[in-house]
Parts: sequence; C-alpha cells; structure tokens
Amino acid sequence: MVAPAWICLLAPLAGALAITLLGRRISRRLAGLLSTGSVAVAFAAALLSFLAALGRDPDDREATSTAWTWLSAGDLEIGLSILVDPLSLVMMLVVTGVGALIVAYSIGYMHDDPEERRFFAYMALFVFSMLTLVLAGNFLILLVGWGLVGLASYLLIGFHHERTSAVAAAKKAFIMNAVGDAAFVLAFFLLIVETGTLDYAGVFGRADELSGTVATLVALGLLGGAVAKSAQIPLHTWLPDAMEGPTPVSALIHAATMVTAGVYLVARMHPLFEAAPSVQDLTAILGAVTLLFAGLVALVQTDIKRVIAYSTMSQIGYMFVAVGIGAYGNGMFHLMTHAFFKALLFLAAGIVIHALLGEQDMRQMGGLRRLLPRTWVFMLVGALALAGMPPLSGFFSKDAIIASSLAAGGGLGYFLFAAGLAGALLTGIYTFRLIFIVFGGEPSPSVRERLHTEHGEGPVSMTATVAVLGVLAVVGGAVQIAGIWHPFADFLDPIVALEREHLALVEPSVTEDWVTSALAVGLGLAGIGIAWRLYGAGRREVAAPRAVRHALEHKLYFDELYNGLFYWPASGIARAFRSLVEGPLIGGSVTGVSSGARGLGRGVGHAQTGYLRTYALAIAAGVAVLALVFVSVR
Amino acid sequence: MTTAIVILPFAGALVVWTAPLSRFWTGSLALLVALVEVGLWINVLVGFDFDEHGLQFDQRVTWFSDLDVSYHVGLYGFSLWLVGMSVVVMAAAIAYGYWVGRERPRVYFGLMLFLLGAVVAVFSSQDLLLFYAAFEAMLIPLYVLVGVWGGPGRLGATVKLVIYTIAGSLLMLVAVIVFGLSQGTFSLVDSGTSDNTWVFLGFVVAFAVKAPLFPFHAWLPDAYRESPPEVAAVLSGVVSKAAVFGLLRIAIAKFPEPAEDFRVPILVLASAGLVYGSLLAFRAVDLRGVIAYSSLAQMGLITLGLFALNDAGFNGAILQSVVHGLVSGTLFLLAGTVERRATTGELLRLGGMARGRPLLATLLMTTGVIALAVPGSAAFAGEFLILAGVFRQGWAWAVVGAIAIVLAAMYTLRLISAVLHTRPGSSVSDEALDLRPAELGVLVPLVACLLALSVWPAAISDTAFPDNEPRETVMENFR
Amino acid sequence: MRGPDVTWYLAVAGVLFATGSLGVLLRRSPLIVLLSLEIMLNGANLALIAFARQQGDAEGQIFALAVMAVAASEVVVGLGLIVALARRNVALDVDKLTTLRG
Repeated sequence: MVAPAWICLLAPLAGALAITLLGRRISRRLAGLLSTGSVAVAFAAALLSFLAALGRDPDDREATSTAWTWLSAGDLEIGLSILVDPLSLVMMLVVTGVGALIVAYSIGYMHDDPEERRFFAYMALFVFSMLTLVLAGNFLILLVGWGLVGLASYLLIGFHHERTSAVAAAKKAFIMNAVGDAAFVLAFFLLIVETGTLDYAGVFGRADELSGTVATLVALGLLGGAVAKSAQIPLHTWLPDAMEGPTPVSALIHAATMVTAGVYLVARMHPLFEAAPSVQDLTAILGAVTLLFAGLVALVQTDIKRVIAYSTMSQIGYMFVAVGIGAYGNGMFHLMTHAFFKALLFLAAGIVIHALLGEQDMRQMGGLRRLLPRTWVFMLVGALALAGMPPLSGFFSKDAIIASSLAAGGGLGYFLFAAGLAGALLTGIYTFRLIFIVFGGEPSPSVRERLHTEHGEGPVSMTATVAVLGVLAVVGGAVQIAGIWHPFADFLDPIVALEREHLALVEPSVTEDWVTSALAVGLGLAGIGIAWRLYGAGRREVAAPRAVRHALEHKLYFDELYNGLFYWPASGIARAFRSLVEGPLIGGSVTGVSSGARGLGRGVGHAQTGYLRTYALAIAAGVAVLALVFVSVR
Repeated sequence: MTTAIVILPFAGALVVWTAPLSRFWTGSLALLVALVEVGLWINVLVGFDFDEHGLQFDQRVTWFSDLDVSYHVGLYGFSLWLVGMSVVVMAAAIAYGYWVGRERPRVYFGLMLFLLGAVVAVFSSQDLLLFYAAFEAMLIPLYVLVGVWGGPGRLGATVKLVIYTIAGSLLMLVAVIVFGLSQGTFSLVDSGTSDNTWVFLGFVVAFAVKAPLFPFHAWLPDAYRESPPEVAAVLSGVVSKAAVFGLLRIAIAKFPEPAEDFRVPILVLASAGLVYGSLLAFRAVDLRGVIAYSSLAQMGLITLGLFALNDAGFNGAILQSVVHGLVSGTLFLLAGTVERRATTGELLRLGGMARGRPLLATLLMTTGVIALAVPGSAAFAGEFLILAGVFRQGWAWAVVGAIAIVLAAMYTLRLISAVLHTRPGSSVSDEALDLRPAELGVLVPLVACLLALSVWPAAISDTAFPDNEPRETVMENFR
Repeated sequence: MRGPDVTWYLAVAGVLFATGSLGVLLRRSPLIVLLSLEIMLNGANLALIAFARQQGDAEGQIFALAVMAVAASEVVVGLGLIVALARRNVALDVDKLTTLRG
C-alpha cells in the first residue's frame, strides 16, 4: 500500500523535472505526452494502493512511511513522511484520475501555444504538489504541499505572462494564499508548544488535552488557511480573477482539486476541529454564506468561465457546510462528484472557447446547440448534475449534504438547511441561464464569424476526455445512495469516525432524505424554469434594480474593500517610511556626522582668540585653580 | 587544516599582486584558489565529527603570552557551515568577476582573494584580537572594491560604509580590550563568561552595524546599489554573516545574562527591521533596492532567531544564515546579469524578459521563489524554525514574522513580474541574450546547493550543534 | 640663622610675582610684558633661594640658577621677535597682534 503511494507521489515530479531539464530538446507534443503519462502512472499507482487497501481489514487501512528527517531542533523532529489511509486514497484517486484526463485534454487545447512545454511542466508540478498535500503525514509536509500548490497555481494563472491582467491575478492568488499560510504557521507554533510534535498521530492523540482557547486558536488558524485555499468568504476574491489562466487550469486547479484542499483539510483535522466546536460552527456558517453569495453573483456574470468559477465557490460552500457539521463522508462525496461535473463543465466550456477562437463573453455566443451538438450534450449533462437532478451524481451528493444539515438540527442546522435549499434554486437559475444564453436561440453574428468546425468540434484529445468525464458525472453518484447503499462512507469511516456526542446525529433518517430530495429537486427545477422564462427566448439581459445589479457586478465590493484595507495602507506606509525615516536616516547620518564634527571643531575653535592677554589670563586662572586645589586637598 | 583554508587565499592574493601575469592567468589563478578552497572545505567537512563537543581542526600558536594572545583557529559545526557557504559564494563571485572582466585585474583579484581570506579568518578565529583583526581586515578590500569598481555614486557609498563600520568597530575594540584584560586571556576557548553590560553592548552595536540591524543600516542601500554585483553578493551574503557569528560566539555565549536582559529590546529592533525592510523592499524602485532591503529584513529575521535563545531559534538562525547567503548571492549575481543586458536596474524600465529567455526566467523564478520562503524551500525551513523558536518567547514576535511572510511574497513577486512579465520594458531590447554558459556555470551551482538544502535542511539543522542541543551548547560557553 | 625670617623674603617674592603678573595681564606693549615676565621670574627665584637657605641645602639655589638660564634664553628670543616686529613697522600692541587666531 505504501510503495505505490510513493510512486504515485513522485511520478509527476519526475515528469515535471524531465520536461524542464530536456527543454527544447523534446517536441511540444512529447512534453504533453510525458506530462499526461506521469500523471497516468500516478493514477495507476494510486489505484494499486487503493486495491491493496481494500484487501485489508477496514481497521488496518492506515500506514505511514518516512523518507528522512527533514528538519530538527532540540526535541522537535519533523520527517519527510506520508500517510496512506482511506481519506488520502480517495483524494489521490480523484486528483490523479481527473488530473490525467485534464492534462490529456490540454494536449489538444494548448496545441497552438508556443510555450506548451512550460505549461505541461507546471501541470505535472501541480499534481505533485497536490499529492504532497493529501499524502502528508505531518503538518509541516502538509504546509509544504499547501505552499507548492499555491506556487503552481501562481505559475499557471500567470501562464500568459504578457497579459498584465493575468500577472496581476496570479499575484493576487498567491498573496491571498500566503495570508492563509501565515495563519497556518501560527497555528503550528501553538501546536508545537502544546504538544511538542507536528505529526498527525501525535497531535490528534493529544487533541483532547488541549485547552479550549488553544484548540480554538489552532482551529481558527487552520480554518484561515482552508478559507484562503478554498476561496470561501472572506478570502475568496482571488478565484474569479484566476480565470485568466487557460481553461484546463481552471478545470484542474480551480474546480477539481486545489480549491477542495480546504475541505480535505477540515476532514483530515477533524479531531482538532471537534475540540473547538465554535470554529466548526463557523466553518459551516462561512460555507453557507459563501454558497449564497456566490450563487447571487453568478447571476450577473457575462464571462462563461466566471459563472462556472462562482459556481465552484458556491459548491465548495456546500462542502464546508458538510464538514462543519461533521458529515465528513458526505462532504468528501460531494467533493468527488463535483470534481467530475465541474471539470466536465469547464472542459466543455473550453471546447466552446476553443471553437470560438478565444471568445469568453456569453453575450457574443448563442445558438451553439446546433453547431456544437456533442458539446451541447456534455454541458447539459454537467449542468443537470450541478443542479442536482436525479439520477446524476450531483443529486446524490448535494442532497446528502442538505439532508445532513436538516438532521443536525438546532438553529444552525435549520439555517444551513434553508441556505442549502436556497442555493439549489440559485444553482438552477444561473446554470441554466448559461446554458440558454450560450446554446439556445440563434447564433450571433460573432459566432458565425469565428466558429471553426471543419475538424469536428475539437481535437480527439479534448472530446474524448470530456466524454469520459461526462460518463463519470452521470454514474459517479452510484457509490453512495443515501440510506440504501453507502460503500463510500463506509470506506472513509475509520478515519472520520466521530467521537463526540453532540455530533452523533449526522446520519439523516430516510424521511429527512426524501423530504430534502423532493424540496431540492423541486427548487432546482423551479430554477431551471425561471431561467427558461428569463433567458430561454434568446433574451440576454434582465431588468433589475440598478443598485442591486451594481452591487452584484462588483461582487459586493470586496475587492475595493481589500484594496483599501491592505494594499494602499501597505504601499502608503512603505512610502512614508522611505521619505520620513530612510531618507533622513541615510542622508542625515553621514552629513550629520560631518556637520557635527565641523560644528564641534568650530565651537572649540572659539577658544583660540589670538589675543595674547586671553591666553595669559587663562594660564593665570589655571594656576590659581590648581593652587586652590592643592591647598584644599592638603 | 584550518590554517590552510585561512592562509591560502592570502598567499594567492600576494602572488596575484606581485607576479606580472596576464589578465587570463590572473583570473584563472584566482578562480583556482577559490575552487581549491572549496575543495579544502569539503575535505574538512568529510572529516568533521558532528557529535563531538568542542573545537575541531584547531591550531594554536601563542603570540604574546603575558596577555595570552595567540593565533588560534578552529571550527565548530555551525562555523563549518558558515565557512562552507562563504567559500562557495566567493568562488561564484570571483568567477563572475572573471567572466565580466574587471579593469586592473591583478588588483581586483588580489583584493577578492584577500577578502576571502579575511572572511574565513573571521569564522574560524578563536582569539578575540585575531577576530578583531580579521573583522577589520574585511573592510579594507571592500572599501577599495566598492570605491574603484562601483557605480556612479560609489564614493558616497564607500564613505558611509567605512564610517559606520569603523565607528562600530571602535566600540568593539574597547569591548575586546576590557574583556580580554578582565578575563586575563584573549582566547575565546579559555575565557569564561562575564555579566558586564557595557562590554556586551559594545559588541552588540558593532555587530548591529555590520549585519546590519535597524536602525544602524544607513550604509546599506547605497553600498549595495553602487557595488559591482559580485561584491554586493559577497557583502550581503557573506560579510553580514560575520555579524551573526560574532553575536552567537561572542555576544551571547560570553554574556549570557546581559543577553537575557537585553533580549526584548533587541528582539524589538530585529522585528522592526524585518517589517521595515520588507515594506521598503515592496516599494523599492530598482532591483538592487529590493534585494538590499530584503537583506535587511532577513538579517532582522536571523537576529530574531538568535535572540530567541532556544534550540529552534539557534538552529533556525544558522540554517537561515547559510540559506540567505546563497540566496542573496544568487539574486545579486542575477541582478548583475539583468543589469548588463538592460544597462539599468530600474524596475520601471524593465519587463518582459521571460520572452525568449527561458534560462534566465527559470533561474530567476526558482531563486525568487526560494527567497520568498515558499513552503518546502530551505529558506522556509529556516524561517519556520526561527519563528517557532521566537514564538516561545511571546506570540507577538511570531505574528510579526507571519506578517513578514506575506510581505515577502508581495515584494518578491513584484520583483519577478517587473523583470520577467508583461511587456518588454523600455530598456529591454530583443537582442538581449539569454544566460550564457559561463553565467550558468556561476549561477547553477548556487541554485543547486539551495535545492539540495531544500530537500534536506536537516543536514545543517541537525549538525550545527553537537547532539542537536544548541541552547545548552551556546549558553554554556561552548564547553 | 641670621637675618630676617623666611616670611619676609616670601612676602617680597610674592609682591614681585604679583607685580609681574599684573604687568603681563594689563600692559599693552610687548616689551613691558617681557619685562614683567622677568620680574615674575625673579620673584620666583627669590622664593627658591629663601627656601633653600631655610632648609639648609643648596638644591633651591641650583634650581634658581637653572631658572636664570632659561629666563635669559627666553628674553633673547622675545627681544629678537620684538626688534623684528619694530623693524617692519608693525604696531607694538599686544591687542593688535592677533593673526594666529582659531
């Protein structure tokens, strides 16, 4: 179980290094194949590991392995270690499986880009980083994976670095993630002081002994990092801008894997979160708020990728709700199905964009269902899955979460339930708004001009991978049908078993499941209906109160707020330091020294009057003083 | 063996200054001496026993016995690593100077070798007067190197550098004399500890000027800006670590009680430097400015680690010293290559250099990313240890450190983007070449060392102090 | 011991010294200043000799001889300077001779 895990981890790194070192010596095509191959090898290895785990007893599916000591000081020792258990296996499979498909897709999508090799090296690097994150056996290696994933994201968002907007978006993403890293690091220090170790086993074993304040602070720090990585409120502003990266990047990093790292984190760290129930509640609340916020903002987006981006933000909100109330199994389930249908949506959108030679504005699209029929089917499947329509995967996973919040009960539970249902309505509206605007109605003049379908809708690499994802989006829900069949939750059970009494009731009853599903599906259909009424007949815009529209279009002014709170003050303080402190300090010190010396000299020079009599007086006075001193001392 | 490492560069300098060799042979000889130094260091490294307490590879020759002054050199674990970093960075600097071609090569290479010898002497001296002599000896070649081969503002920069450093050193001289006379010996190994606050402060101020530590850093921006790139690399990477060595070996080890008493004010200054340097780096207008202020910030961070006065702090400080030496050296040399191609270092006039220059882009990106301490890099390892150590002294310091992490990301990414990304700047022409093989030969070994340390930082953190007990070793006067 | 008490000699020496000092401080002509300087030296000499007589040993007298030698040399130099000044028609006024000022 462990050896394949190491191969899984290192294969993409080998791929990235090979592409970097070989540089121009390999063809662009080969770089793409190398990258895809290394991720595919990783997937095979993950599969091997998974099968090996299945062959074991459910209680024996955990193994750690340490390569060497990475860092040490006195009693603190941190090794380069990995942890293989059901939770990490699920993530490994999702990351490498969906990753391999997306990298394969990129071979076709990035075909015309002269810098392709760099792209594939970065993609392999990203997969390696993400695997480091999910396979980490201690907090520090987790942070290493965390940071490297942020780095890969920066490199990929800013891939087209001639574009100022792309570079700015990349920097923004990295810096927001750095803020999350800083929060992490502070939590780690607290853990070192309180438990003396950063190994998972050591810390979780002692989670019960932590005082309430310490546990809360640690959990808050961890939550801070999770929120930054998963683009939840309030550290979410980087995600829409991240759409500057090529579409495969948006699919892999900003839908399927990186942004779900926060969810994985809360699930992995659940002993710590359970020791700080207020932070767990906060997690769920943030998830619910983000879910609603993102759903609302998605309603006014005109860029096809941004709609999907906000949709991602919203769906991750659902996952945060799940892990916030202790329904870890459901949260991970939705993570998996979301990876399928969200990647599907992004890649299908990529086919559209590719066919339209880079056009991303939905208002310039229309009538594509006849011109790109297969893509139309793919996107429809993805949209239905996203909206939670049975029997697609999204139905099972999303409704499980909403039902769990109903089961959790209490004021918080009912709030989360209501938010989840409201989200289902919004999801229906914005998703099908996209479908109707892009695929419905008549082709716009821009479409007629640009559309190139001589070679089919897209290269084989693109359409085949999207098809696979489509199938997964349809059948992916089969691993967990609430109340009837739950191998998924069972697999995860030993890891995420709940030990706290107050979280006992997160298994919804059959009634709750049915009620929830009925409501959710109903609201979803209602959303689709509303979208049909508003946008179905080829209409593009909808009248809405100006203020509301403006607020949503400016994403509730978060960007402006952060600019004002952080960027301008930092810039201003730096400038102030430069002129008020540095300038005088540097200039002043040396000129100060020289003018001081000169002044001193001048002052002392006043004693040289040139008058003989002054000197004589001085001698006389001096003698007198000495005489007095002699006499008195005697 | 240590004496060989100390004397060889001086001998080389003498040969270079006196023998009438051509430019080619002078440079080759200097480079050869530098590489032999590295070889000698590796030899010592292999033979070093990291579990043994006390000095190793030491030689002692008494100079005058009534004051017990001697030529006494030797190495500890941590000084071994500092020497290693110094010889590697200086070899790269000499190679760079050779590649670029400096006027009056015999004088130049002789001075560089002299500087190398002085630096190694500082790190290995175990006698206070020898330490002081070597400390001052570092200044002579720097003064000439900056003053003759520097940029347009070099005279002002040199004046500031020299006045500041000498002022600090005079205080240190007084401290050395008082300490030596009161202990009855000038040997660092034989002398005990003292709780004289004024002597402690005398040492601290001198090292604070050398490091530099805020607010004694007024010489830094001009010196780093006006020096030739390889001299800036050495100044920032190697010479500043002499202050670290001094603080650790002399100020803290010999004055444990004053160190505890002054811990908080010094930590305040160090964190002020950390934040101040980071903010100024964020808004600096040229390449050198960013790297210079980031150096100030890093030295503040290292001092933070030293004065945490615990295991993690000391280990982190030594690790970060080595890493920063390599990072800063690489960054300044890279800045030099960029400046040669664009004739300017001003960020507004640069940009778009990544197009068609993959080697430059990759190396700059890799070094930049390590410089900002991305998790997984050696710099991150050092920073993490330092902050973990200082956290035990009070959570506020670690919060300041965490803020500095974010600031470091901001200024480093700004630097990288300003040079590599968006449209080509007004000073960047399409003919500007990618990195040449010679430049790669200088830069790649440095980056390789950084990557190796990133994979295995425990190589240093485990071995800097015997039995990995830094606090005990240092606070008990290195017994 | 015959003759007046040591005190009287010291008194005279003191008067001589005081007269000389006042002369140095208050007179404007360098020649008179030199003269006053001589008077001061003589006063000191007198005191030396008086004490020598009182103590009964010759150290004071020998020292007085040394002082006389020094006084003579210094007068030579001083007078030479004044004569040189006079030859160049420079005003012989101490208050006006201030070129060596700081």
